[in-house]
Amino acid sequence: MRLWLPFSIIAAWAFLAIFNFMFSLTPDAIDLTNILSPPSPEHWLGHDELGRPVADRLISGAHTSFFVSLCVVALGVSLGSLLGVSSAYLSGWVDAGFVRIVDIMLAFPGLLLAIALAGALGPGIGNVILALGIVGWVGYARLARGQVLALKHADHVLAAQAIGAPPWRIILRHLLPLIMAPLIVEASFGVAGAIIAEAGLSFLGLGVQPPAASWGSMIRDGTRYMLVAPHLVVFPGLTLMAVVLAANMLGDWLRDRLDVKEQTSRGGS
Amino acid sequence: MRISFQEHRDLRPNRSLVCSPIGSAKRMLHGFQLNWRLWLMVLGLISIVGCTESLPDYTLRFGLANSPTNLDPRYATDATSARLNRLLYSRLVDFGEGTIPIPALATWRELSPIHYRFDLQEPRPLFHNGARLSANDVKATYASILNPATASPHRGILQIITRIDTPTENTVDFFLKQPDSLFPGYLVIGILPANLIAKGHPFHDHPIGSGPFQFLERPDDTRLVIERRADGQRIEFVRIPDPTVRTLKLLANEIHLLQNDLPPELVTYLSTHKGITLQQRQGANFAYLGFNQLDPVVGQELVRKAIAHAIDREHIIQFVLRGRARVAQTLFPPEHWAGHASLSGYAYDPEEAKRLLKEAGYDHDHRPTITYKTSTDPFRLRLATIIQYQLDQVGIDVSIQSHDWGTFYGDIKSGRFQMYSLAWVGVKSPDIFRYAFHSDAIPPVGANRGHFADVVADRLMIQAEQTLNRQEQQALYRTLQARLLDTLPYVPLWFEDHYALASTTITGYQLSADGNFDGLSQVRWMGPPSVPPTHLARLYP
Repeated sequence: MRLWLPFSIIAAWAFLAIFNFMFSLTPDAIDLTNILSPPSPEHWLGHDELGRPVADRLISGAHTSFFVSLCVVALGVSLGSLLGVSSAYLSGWVDAGFVRIVDIMLAFPGLLLAIALAGALGPGIGNVILALGIVGWVGYARLARGQVLALKHADHVLAAQAIGAPPWRIILRHLLPLIMAPLIVEASFGVAGAIIAEAGLSFLGLGVQPPAASWGSMIRDGTRYMLVAPHLVVFPGLTLMAVVLAANMLGDWLRDRLDVKEQTSRGGS
Repeated sequence: MRISFQEHRDLRPNRSLVCSPIGSAKRMLHGFQLNWRLWLMVLGLISIVGCTESLPDYTLRFGLANSPTNLDPRYATDATSARLNRLLYSRLVDFGEGTIPIPALATWRELSPIHYRFDLQEPRPLFHNGARLSANDVKATYASILNPATASPHRGILQIITRIDTPTENTVDFFLKQPDSLFPGYLVIGILPANLIAKGHPFHDHPIGSGPFQFLERPDDTRLVIERRADGQRIEFVRIPDPTVRTLKLLANEIHLLQNDLPPELVTYLSTHKGITLQQRQGANFAYLGFNQLDPVVGQELVRKAIAHAIDREHIIQFVLRGRARVAQTLFPPEHWAGHASLSGYAYDPEEAKRLLKEAGYDHDHRPTITYKTSTDPFRLRLATIIQYQLDQVGIDVSIQSHDWGTFYGDIKSGRFQMYSLAWVGVKSPDIFRYAFHSDAIPPVGANRGHFADVVADRLMIQAEQTLNRQEQQALYRTLQARLLDTLPYVPLWFEDHYALASTTITGYQLSADGNFDGLSQVRWMGPPSVPPTHLARLYP
């Protein structure tokens, strides 16, 4: 599988997001003389409706999407796996109640619930992370619970129980390491989902607030000038598509690498 | 059996509203032997007949950004409603060159400083229900506005009227509490039929006036259909909030005319298209920054002056508004009779702004912080972002709060703001100064929303209104405007131009000076339509 392209896209995204302070960017500098100017040799991606450089704003938006997606996935994975593992391990009425809650959460369309939450909490990047995290933990929890249900009667767990290991130790030492692979695969897809969700919320005005840049808000602002300055939509749109596609391709690759069942069946065939 | 070409033609129905191809086909098949070739021919005929018999639609469509909120002139306050109500109702007085009041339905005489006589002119238009407009209708309309139970927003200024008499069918006498030489200019509200006012007719829902257009239907919130009384030409106002969609609909000829409310780039874009014509003229809608005088930061005159020097209005007009505006120094443009052409305002001077801020006690480490309220309209937000950036450059931190129109306007009216931007639209009479700046005009009595209080300005306003000589009045208003520019209750921004974009399928639309829709009285299709509008009017249900 040719992975150099998705790898380099994700690497460039992460690099620009983390080290954007190294470039002398002026994403918020308004230059009235350059309003809606098209791409030129000096400014490759042109300027927006306030004369701000689109390239600088794309990099600034990369920081937003990177930061949001990482926080959302971290929140989702930690909350989801903790709840999922505990529920499966404790079983009984705790597990039954937990499954009902998960079912209720899954009955809501994810993005709609996030929009409602972000709307209720008010616009702002912190609230976007919170809203997407609240919606996003369910998938990880279900996955972790399923894995633990299969593992909790394994010999090494029974052995640990027999020598009197406390539940938290069994969970941390004997269960979590074994379910990390599917969680990582799920998280890699979660990154792509979070990027799209953040762009969606920002498109609706619920994400980062002006003048901060986000790909979603850049696309939203650009749609008003589609007829006269298509570059305002095309560049952030292509960037968003490229990063999400690359994240999904890497997720696929990770699944192929980490999925034990698939490897076994491939080896056996 | 063969069917001749002549028979096909004979079987074509005459032009009618309802195409009935199946019925035609049945008649055609009568007595003929059916076979598959015949079926094919019949199907072919059906398609030809079906395609050619649709009625040409001569309704002229006008794209609007906002629907009119109220078609009852006693209640309408928004610009769209006011412009539409001008088409549906006639009024006693209008404004002419230099925004001086001129006779519309009536001429007037000042019998004494507190007694005005209005004589209704002949010929005058009938009401849409066929009734004749008389002095009683004028009296009933203004009496209804003055009745506190009506809760008309126009009552405030008209409360100067103490009594209305109708000595004859064509004469109305207005008696005032005190002399006010601006009084005739207040009588610009559409006249309603007295008998319908008495019955409590829902004018907002079904307007009946005596204007050049009559109401036909309002199928939903987004559409309003009116008909020109002279020839039956129908005009449909269609609300299309998104400017890009409005642009595309004009290009696709789905609407034929639109006026204002487009981003300047789209105006330029449309004006380069072959099928579109652009009309443009200077406007008088005054855009400004308002301040809360009770606020510890913007309540300081020095800070307001710094803000005035920090905003590069010339550049904003040149690059953002694409030259479709002119710098304003005061509420009235120079061509208004009470305007002040020789006022020199605050030039763009960031250094002077920094100096003023320093004088006010602010520096790099202690920057003033201002919350700037605006609506969610993308273009207003864009201007706010530019002003925020320019103020930041001189050392003022600005945070923008954008709210939907209702919340924003509610906040402004109730004084919940530090700084805001808004525009006075359609202001004609200089009594606006007392309404917006007099220390007694704090809401809900007036529109002094920033609690501006200046003894000198108060005195000038009252003096000007009570002066009967136009020249003296003009001089007083000019002194007042110089005083307001010096004390800065508002930082004046600009007067935005009006523009109309029309499809080349129509002609005759003349853009008016105040952006009203009166030009619709003259608009017509390019080239005579094969079915005249009067005929269409009969065809429509």
